[in-house]
Amino acid sequence: MSTPTAAITTSGLTKRYGDTLALDALDLTVQPGEVYGYLGPNGAGKTTTIRLLLGLHRPSAGRAELFGVDAWSDAVRAHERVAYVAGEPFLWPSMTGAETLEFLGRLHGGVDVAYRDELVKRFQLDTSRKVRALSKGNRQKVQLVAALATRADLLLLDEPTSGLDPLMEVAFRDSIAEAKERGQAVFLSSHMLSEVEALCDRVGILRRGRLVDQGTLAELKHLSATTIEATFAGEAPPIEPLPGVEVERVAPEKLRFEVSGDVGPLIDELAGHKVTSLTSREPSLEEIFLHHYDSSDGRVGDR
Amino acid sequence: MSATAEALPGRGSPSASQAPSRGASRFSALARRAFRDARVRTISFAYLFAIASYLNPVSYRHTYSTLAERLAFANSFAHNKAVVLFYGKAYDLLTVGGYSAWRTGGILSILAAVFGLLAGVRALRAEEDAGRAELVLAGPVSRDTFYLAALAAIAAGGALLWVAVLAGSVIGGLAAGGSAYLALAIVSVVPVFAGVGALASQFAPTRRMAIELGGAVVVIAFVLRVVADTSGSLGWLRWATPLGWAEALRPFTGSQPLVLLLPVAFSTLMLFGAARLAVSRDVGAGLLPARDTAAPRLWLLSSSTAQALRSELGGLVVWLTSVGVFALIIGVVSKSVSSAGISPQLQREFAKLGEGSIVSPGGYIAFAFIFFVLVISLFSCSQVAAARHEESEQRLETLLSLRVSRRRWLTGRLALALAGAVALAFIAGLLAWAGAASQHVAPPLSRMLEAGGNCLPAGILFLGIAAFAYAIAPRAGVAIAYGLVTVAFLWQLIGSLLGVPKWLVDLTPFAHVAAVPTQSFRAGAAGVMVGIGLVAAAAAVAAFERRDLAGA
Repeated sequence: MSTPTAAITTSGLTKRYGDTLALDALDLTVQPGEVYGYLGPNGAGKTTTIRLLLGLHRPSAGRAELFGVDAWSDAVRAHERVAYVAGEPFLWPSMTGAETLEFLGRLHGGVDVAYRDELVKRFQLDTSRKVRALSKGNRQKVQLVAALATRADLLLLDEPTSGLDPLMEVAFRDSIAEAKERGQAVFLSSHMLSEVEALCDRVGILRRGRLVDQGTLAELKHLSATTIEATFAGEAPPIEPLPGVEVERVAPEKLRFEVSGDVGPLIDELAGHKVTSLTSREPSLEEIFLHHYDSSDGRVGDR
Repeated sequence: MSATAEALPGRGSPSASQAPSRGASRFSALARRAFRDARVRTISFAYLFAIASYLNPVSYRHTYSTLAERLAFANSFAHNKAVVLFYGKAYDLLTVGGYSAWRTGGILSILAAVFGLLAGVRALRAEEDAGRAELVLAGPVSRDTFYLAALAAIAAGGALLWVAVLAGSVIGGLAAGGSAYLALAIVSVVPVFAGVGALASQFAPTRRMAIELGGAVVVIAFVLRVVADTSGSLGWLRWATPLGWAEALRPFTGSQPLVLLLPVAFSTLMLFGAARLAVSRDVGAGLLPARDTAAPRLWLLSSSTAQALRSELGGLVVWLTSVGVFALIIGVVSKSVSSAGISPQLQREFAKLGEGSIVSPGGYIAFAFIFFVLVISLFSCSQVAAARHEESEQRLETLLSLRVSRRRWLTGRLALALAGAVALAFIAGLLAWAGAASQHVAPPLSRMLEAGGNCLPAGILFLGIAAFAYAIAPRAGVAIAYGLVTVAFLWQLIGSLLGVPKWLVDLTPFAHVAAVPTQSFRAGAAGVMVGIGLVAAAAAVAAFERRDLAGA
């Protein structure tokens, strides 16, 4: 093949557990060198997606491919270029960190030992301790080091920083940046919006098993409402209703506008009034995220 | 759960009058939770206890209906060391009650010890090991309440076993008063070993280690009873083992109720001691130092199968040692068996008990090896249970996300189980031979290895069946497999006792296992069992490749 194969391709990927539709016709592509942020509340289907990508669960419909290899029917070959960090660190309690790293490395096939040693230092991991004596965050670090040290072409990370302290969070971000520089693809399922905002090229938002929004951060922000606050000399005047603009009076002389799409018509309208100050703010990822979850029914049962 | 809910509304306005009742409802909520957690095991034990208590009086009446037969049986068997090894000391074999006390009590007291140990460890270590105790103790629950609720649940389980023995015996035709006392003698073992389990739980930081510690005590108690019962001069050792106390209570044979003071005193002492330790140590820790750091040992890490062997090694050594020691003892005591004075007619009756021609050393070994067939079948189930544990703890996800295929993982685990079963079978044959040889009564070594190998086909059959059950029903499969082995074993025992048609008895694999070394190995039946086992294993791998992984 002459064109580079996508790291992840899913088409119509669907998973039902009994009556529950956990994932509904997911179409997704992640390219090499891309960091993809996968957002969604608890039970939205993030972990289900990763289990389907790894061939741990069988799709009810559709298919998933990793580097063009089917994730279910040819799982072992698909895993050759993949490393995975589970949301919960499920390791062998009586093995030490060093033994675990050695074991997982051998099962993966190839490990950059020098880089692994560097990661052990970076994450301040005491590898002589047995897994059962490690805190959740430290067990998470064992998994992270094992995965990163493979230098795999695709990193599948399921809420990898849930147990890490802020210092380790920095080490994690550095490591992901390095991976991206080397051209590795990263699929990052996360709750930490600041982390996703800092690391990810593209973001997908999952709700009740459906991908409700997807794009680069800039695209998502463009599509969402921009907030404009105008303060007037004296009491705020009545403003002509404009399409795509919602008005809210926050103080007698202050109006807040939520603008979807082009801000031009509103600026033209305001130009006719005596405005003393004007602030404009793009939505944060948090606001975009919350926008998709206004209704409280955006959850399905955990799997 | 409902009791907890009831307790909550009052929380904001505590008043002195409400406090005791809220405490009581918390206590009962915890106790019921603990009982519910163990209900499957408790009910399984209760069934087993009831069936055994019913079968013994019925079969005795059926087999030895005249006094002459009973006298012949008593003279030839009651003091036969080889039989005493399994069932303990017999005081009176001329009455239905005396025989039942011997057979029922001898075996069930050992099971009661296992039940007590598992219940004690479950209540006082497994909960902590899993982190749930922390959750409970973070609420307005004192450690004393937590501990007492766990004990109340164990007591309820013991009471259920008592009822089971009582009901089985009474339906089997024994007097109610005597049955109640027999049941008490058997169940008296439960609190003692619950105490052992509770103490072991204070020392060991993990559930597994607590069970290993307590298991060692059960084995020592059993060996002490064997020594006390089989050697005339060391009979006083009976007082050193709780299993001996159960014998010394002498149900149906001149009751000695004062002996009850021993289990009462010792279980109180151990449970109180464990309670003192439990409330004064850190939650989640044990008094034995846990080695938390270690230099890396990098052997057996090259594949998932190698690592599985590494994980199971400790358990495997325990299985091999237990089977080996038991086989050695059987070999040694087989010398004391002789057919002198037993009429051929009576020997035929023994055969109905599933004991074959037990009246020669070789025949006795053949009879004992039927138990190794059962042990190896249970070992097969335990290995599938270990594989399931890897999946329920979700470590299998970690493995399968690497370059490990489902086929390779499961076939590796099954191959490991098979290798373990082969080792168990031949260790049993070899050490039984060694034991018998030390007394100059050994059949040829080749015949004894054949006796060991003869245990394998059923083991392979049940390995395949257990694997298949696990593959299609991940959560229930292991329990189904254990259940099938137990039913298949009891099927033959009960069927041959009650004289049901042969074709019905023949439904169980155990009916097709030859009594080697007295009979010769049945290659045809063995071939069928191995064949079914392999087909089931292959089907298991195929089914496992097609299903979702299932967590706990």
